[in-house]
Amino acid sequence: SVSSSSQNRNAILVSNRQKGNPLLKHIRNVKWAFADIVCDYLVGQSSCALYISLRYHLLHPDYLYYRIKELQKNFKLHIILCHIDVEDAVKPLLEITRTSIFHDCTLLCGWSFEECGRYLETLKAYENKPADSIREQTNTDYLSRLTHALTTVRHVNKTDVVTLGSTFGSLSGIMGASMEDLARCPGIGERKVKRLHDTFHEPFRRAS
Amino acid sequence: MALLRQKMLPFQEQIIADLLEDPNGGVVVLSSGLPVHTLVASLLLLHHPSQGSILILSASESQKSSICRSLLLLLQNPSPNPSPSPSPSPSTSHNPIIPTDIPSDVLCHRRADLYTTGASYFITPRILIADLLRSRVPPSIAGLLILNAHRLTDNSTEAFIARVLRSLSRTSYVRAFTDRPHAMVSGFAKAERIMKCLYVRRLHLWPRFHVLVSNDLEQTPPEVVDIRVPMTPAMMEIQKALLETMDACLKELKRSNKVDVDDLTVENGLFKSFDEVVRRQLDPIWHTLGKKTKQLVSDLRTLRKLLDYLVRYDAVTYLKYLDTLRVSEGVRSVWIFAESSYKIFEIAKKRVYQMTRADGVRISTDRNISISKRRKVKRDCSKKEKESDNLWSLSNEAVSAKVAENVGVALEEVLETAPKWKVLRELLEEIEAERRKESSPKDGKNHVGGDSNDIVLVVCKDESSCLQLEDSIIKSSHQVLRQEWEKYLLGKAELHGLCKHIGKRSQDPKGYGVLDGTITSGYSENADPRFISKLENVAIFAAASEIRHTVQEGVVIEDNSQPHTRRHSSRKGSGGVRFQKAATKAQDSRNNHRKSAKKEQSEKINSEATVPKVKSNAVHKSGVHKADLITSCIDNIDRGFLQRHIHDFNTSEFINAKPIPPVQFYAIEKDEHVLDIWKPSVIIVFHPDMTFVREIEVYKAENPSGKLKVYFIFYEYSTEVQKFEASIRRENRAFESLIRQKSLLMIPLDQDGRCIEPRSICEPSSVVPQNSVTRKAGGRKTIEKEMQIIVDMREFMSSLPNILHQKGLKIIPVVLEVGDYVLSPFICVERKSINDLYQSFASGRLYHQVETMSRYYKMSVLLIEFSQDKSFSFQSPNDLGDDVSPTSIISKLSLLVLHFPRLRLVWSRSLHATAEIFVSLKANQDEPDENKAIRVGVPSEDGIVEADVRAENFNTSAIEFLRSLPGVTDSNYRALMDGCRCLAELVFLPLERLAELMGGQKPAKMLREFLDANYPSMLQ
Repeated sequence: SVSSSSQNRNAILVSNRQKGNPLLKHIRNVKWAFADIVCDYLVGQSSCALYISLRYHLLHPDYLYYRIKELQKNFKLHIILCHIDVEDAVKPLLEITRTSIFHDCTLLCGWSFEECGRYLETLKAYENKPADSIREQTNTDYLSRLTHALTTVRHVNKTDVVTLGSTFGSLSGIMGASMEDLARCPGIGERKVKRLHDTFHEPFRRAS
Repeated sequence: MALLRQKMLPFQEQIIADLLEDPNGGVVVLSSGLPVHTLVASLLLLHHPSQGSILILSASESQKSSICRSLLLLLQNPSPNPSPSPSPSPSTSHNPIIPTDIPSDVLCHRRADLYTTGASYFITPRILIADLLRSRVPPSIAGLLILNAHRLTDNSTEAFIARVLRSLSRTSYVRAFTDRPHAMVSGFAKAERIMKCLYVRRLHLWPRFHVLVSNDLEQTPPEVVDIRVPMTPAMMEIQKALLETMDACLKELKRSNKVDVDDLTVENGLFKSFDEVVRRQLDPIWHTLGKKTKQLVSDLRTLRKLLDYLVRYDAVTYLKYLDTLRVSEGVRSVWIFAESSYKIFEIAKKRVYQMTRADGVRISTDRNISISKRRKVKRDCSKKEKESDNLWSLSNEAVSAKVAENVGVALEEVLETAPKWKVLRELLEEIEAERRKESSPKDGKNHVGGDSNDIVLVVCKDESSCLQLEDSIIKSSHQVLRQEWEKYLLGKAELHGLCKHIGKRSQDPKGYGVLDGTITSGYSENADPRFISKLENVAIFAAASEIRHTVQEGVVIEDNSQPHTRRHSSRKGSGGVRFQKAATKAQDSRNNHRKSAKKEQSEKINSEATVPKVKSNAVHKSGVHKADLITSCIDNIDRGFLQRHIHDFNTSEFINAKPIPPVQFYAIEKDEHVLDIWKPSVIIVFHPDMTFVREIEVYKAENPSGKLKVYFIFYEYSTEVQKFEASIRRENRAFESLIRQKSLLMIPLDQDGRCIEPRSICEPSSVVPQNSVTRKAGGRKTIEKEMQIIVDMREFMSSLPNILHQKGLKIIPVVLEVGDYVLSPFICVERKSINDLYQSFASGRLYHQVETMSRYYKMSVLLIEFSQDKSFSFQSPNDLGDDVSPTSIISKLSLLVLHFPRLRLVWSRSLHATAEIFVSLKANQDEPDENKAIRVGVPSEDGIVEADVRAENFNTSAIEFLRSLPGVTDSNYRALMDGCRCLAELVFLPLERLAELMGGQKPAKMLREFLDANYPSMLQ
């Protein structure tokens, strides 16, 4: 059972309720297996998904609510995967949006089984992926990295970075500088001095 | 009014009088080219500051300056000789009547003061609506003047402004103008909808065929000469092929059964608006369309461009454009593989150069032979082509040829010049000659009328043709083409330099020998087209390298000089770098070329003597049969336009030294109303354009005493003519439809004769969720406290605030640091249209926005909003691909969701759906606090960010700094924070300890090195 559990770690676990869902045909890039779980799809250690199609929702408007209640907030990320399979989606989608927002669920919409399947695959495949590809890309050369780091401190601009760099010689030098040293730099006013000094010398966690 | 009469035409006064009749205002639709700016200017002139301020909305920059200029003209004392200088003199520029801009950076309370001054201002809708919503605009405002009214829709900010203004003040008017009648009839009952959303009930239509307009404009019509220039046979053939291809594409599109067939005509296809028509029909089902249909739509656009460029670009540029098309569209495009389009490429090439076999024979004798040989290959060539071949060689100023013997083929330059160029040159010479003749006998009088000067205005469509024409007049047109040709060759060579395949071959002269041999046998019979094209490439490359030689060595190359193979190979090694240098030196070589070209020229003059005969005959024949195009389709009154034939050029003195009058070029695209400034006595319309023709008419009517002669240079039987005529027909049809619509207008009025808000009556709006409505008896709604939403100023670019306001929500415009909409103290929304979503994912901005939003608000919402008239989905299932791809929108959304598990996503079908979602989310929530919302994310002075849930416990600035350092990741920064007290302490941690905390040597090393790296000295 050890091997099966480690296998399950790399696979999407699918609830038995989802048997016969055409969506399963489209999960091809990631392994999946049926399991006895509360949610419809377990796509990661702490993320789960419920599947609902708008057509089904129109027939059973309360279904989603009860399913969410069942989950009992055991996961970090609760996804509601909504399959938009009716022409006039505005009203049912509004209801689903309300339900998911006020019950702390994240709503994802797909317009086909392929798309819904792709969401599940991606969520599983990216379980541990860093957010680099959707973050601001910083250049990798020293100067732009330094500029990027120092300008996270409010009011510090690019010119200040050059001033600080050439005055103190290195980032460690800047970080260790005293308030007077900082204040001696041209263009670094009282406000910036305080902000920089606070950033470097105030503890990460404030004493409570 | 007495003042006005000096400058304004009677029909313009009538328009103003009609407009002033209704205190509510109205919408004025003019024929394009009739002067909107003078109308606005005269309205401003009639305005008195005591009536309150006038605000002018949606004026383009060129319109603004035109309005100011004509206002100055109206203000000037009617002097017989107004100064031609366009810039206002300093004394008048401070006149309070002249409207000024209200820029967005003027402080709010200062703007409030401006509104009360009674002066007139240009203002952007975004600023005005914010000020209206914040009650900074006094009710004493006189009214709005809205330009470009055809752009309005029910949801546009201007409509929003009109609605708020109406509730604010009952006396202010809204007057809207447009000179795009055809844009007013696109879509269902557009004119009526625009009028309703502005709350005006008068529609004033002023077509060119209005009796008052035509009376005024045709009293002293300008002298018009219509010159029909025949296109070269090659151009004719290209045009024919293009039209055929276009027709084929349209037929194909019809077969898809997705588009209304009536609109699919080639004539419609000539206009830009055609795309709009097709797109409007296809957008809702766009994702369901096959690739082919989508491609057809874009192909039609390409083809229209090609038609347009055919008469505007020179032969070389045209070929260059086609080449780039083949590279960029070749794979996808449908039309490129059609048979007729093959012809387009072939002929376009033939206008520039031809391939001939050299065989080491002198080119002078070889040319004819090679041509006849080519004929053998192409059996299907008809006599017609023979003729055309002859004509080509005649119409070309110079036919020179380059041989690269070692290659086995010769590149023969054809460089067909645009017939119009020559006609223009001749025309200018003729004008000057005539002037001299006129002025010499009676020297005392200045030859042209009172206040106009000698300038000949040449009008083109775009700036680049202006520049090129100017060149072609100053130098010879052949030289201009030569320069283009050299650029073309150099560009080609650059491409070849990149292409290793060919480069290798050229390095190996032996291979050529073999190739050459096979060609000699295989050429005449069924030659492999790929072979030929390869040879062609080689020849082009040879020619290009020849130019490079001249460039590098500064040597004048005689036309028949042959480059050595040696040079080829020696060059190869250093390729790129040297080439760069060569390009900068191009100038020198050009001078050299010019010398040789001139020699050529003088030789050619003799042979050319026959050309004009052919040409002038053609001109005679076509004559001026339809000089009054402007009015021809309106009625048959064939008044006043003098008809004239162009001079016979049989005398044939074609020396470039012949004097020409001062010429001024103007690009229609600039839209500057230059006629009043330059006051030309002769206008040559090089690219015919309906709007500009009207401008000429108005200019002439305003200056009835001055002499004005207008030359139109058309290509005969071209789409240019067709398009010009069709544009007039189209406008007339638009007006007819507007007149019909006007007779059926349904504008609801209230007791005071004012228009009633269209929405308020019919739609009680579902503000409260359903069940709470039913709970109350009869669904009656007690009026609750007004719901309010805080909206970021930047969001007023979109229509959502307008629709929220329509729903009955109170809109509070502020500048928000975090988020776009604040619905309640806890709910903050970042809104993304689909385009925005893709873009901000790509830039990383979205990640940052979501990050800050979820830091400050308990419930942060990402709203993904689709457009009503586009399909409600990202992509069709076919476009999904087989694998999880990091670039797909699905992957990016998934990643975002994984990293921000507390982010709520809202998917909205349309603006209206969004409004409903907002209302629904706000139900049972507290109202947001404006003062809190603006301070969110803006750090206060002591460094602690207010409302930051973490700020009390964490030094957020330090954490952000830490996370931006190299080696620090989402997973190890917490451990680092545990490992040291503050950032300053981090500096003293040894590498081993860092590795321990960061979970590896590599990131620790990265961080350590970054911290200790020496800052590069600025001296280095």
